[in-house]
Amino acid sequence: MPLLVVKRKFIESFGLFCKLIYTFASLKNTHQNKIMEQQEKVLDPQESLRIIRETIDLAKNSFRENGFHFLLWGWLVVIASTMHFYLGAIAHYPRPDRAWMIMVVVGMPVAFIYEWRRGKREQVENLVHNWYGLIWLGFGISMLIAMPLAIRNGLSPVPFILVLSGFATFMSGVLLRFRPLVVGALIIWVGGLACLWLPSDQQLLVQASVTVLGYLVPGYMLNLQSRTRHVQRT
Amino acid sequence: MYKELDPLLLSQLRLTIMSFLIVAQQAEFSVLKEKSGATSGNLSIQISKLQEAGYIEVEKTFKNNYPLTICKITAQGVEAFEAFYRDLRSYLEP
Repeated sequence: MPLLVVKRKFIESFGLFCKLIYTFASLKNTHQNKIMEQQEKVLDPQESLRIIRETIDLAKNSFRENGFHFLLWGWLVVIASTMHFYLGAIAHYPRPDRAWMIMVVVGMPVAFIYEWRRGKREQVENLVHNWYGLIWLGFGISMLIAMPLAIRNGLSPVPFILVLSGFATFMSGVLLRFRPLVVGALIIWVGGLACLWLPSDQQLLVQASVTVLGYLVPGYMLNLQSRTRHVQRT
Repeated sequence: MYKELDPLLLSQLRLTIMSFLIVAQQAEFSVLKEKSGATSGNLSIQISKLQEAGYIEVEKTFKNNYPLTICKITAQGVEAFEAFYRDLRSYLEP
């Protein structure tokens, strides 16, 4: 019996001790929070503007694109264009346009898996990436309309693809504030213009060349920049 | 002196949170802590103030059985930030 009483007393005392510790910790925390609130610095307009600019730059740098899609689709366009040229002009295969199936068979699943994994990894919603995605979605829809229109009217779809991809590359360059993409867009547009004077099979070679210069080179530069840039708070 | 400017945004940490969320739209508490360099306690207080003003929404959820706090900027928050930035510019460049 006395042992039970001792046990009970011990448990009661221990409970009281824990309660005291908790109360003390809560009071200390409240006190610290109050101090922090008092210490919160009131800014002047110049400081406010500096903080806004620095933080927005910091946020944008956190979301910098790594150029993955430029590299993926750039290489696929180069491979498909040269394969189309080879199959049509050299091997005389009856359906050289089948080379473009690589975009659907390889490009789409790889892009989908990449985006799915990226979505799972990302801790913050990325406004820049959302706009970037919308630009290329608009490009994809425009292509779906322009390509059958051109083919049905007996025209080569290459100049249409170049004009539209030049526009989407230009918009991406402006959005990402990445000048090499803007220059790349100009190269792609010049390629589209050059198609005015070239037969359709040679247009494929122009497409492959301007894709390397206007799409892959800026894509590799973007990739290099995203790997070397360290996000720093100034 | 700075009567026209929103007093809620005239605080270094609250302004940092809002500026980050203007670009990111939403971010985890841990990301905001890392980017702002603030302590958890101070960040919680400032987030609560922004939440009370209706500038941000706080969603508490779980990720892999761990608690996860996500802060999202609201339409009211975007409006307040834009008005603050406009006022700031007019203040500095009359």
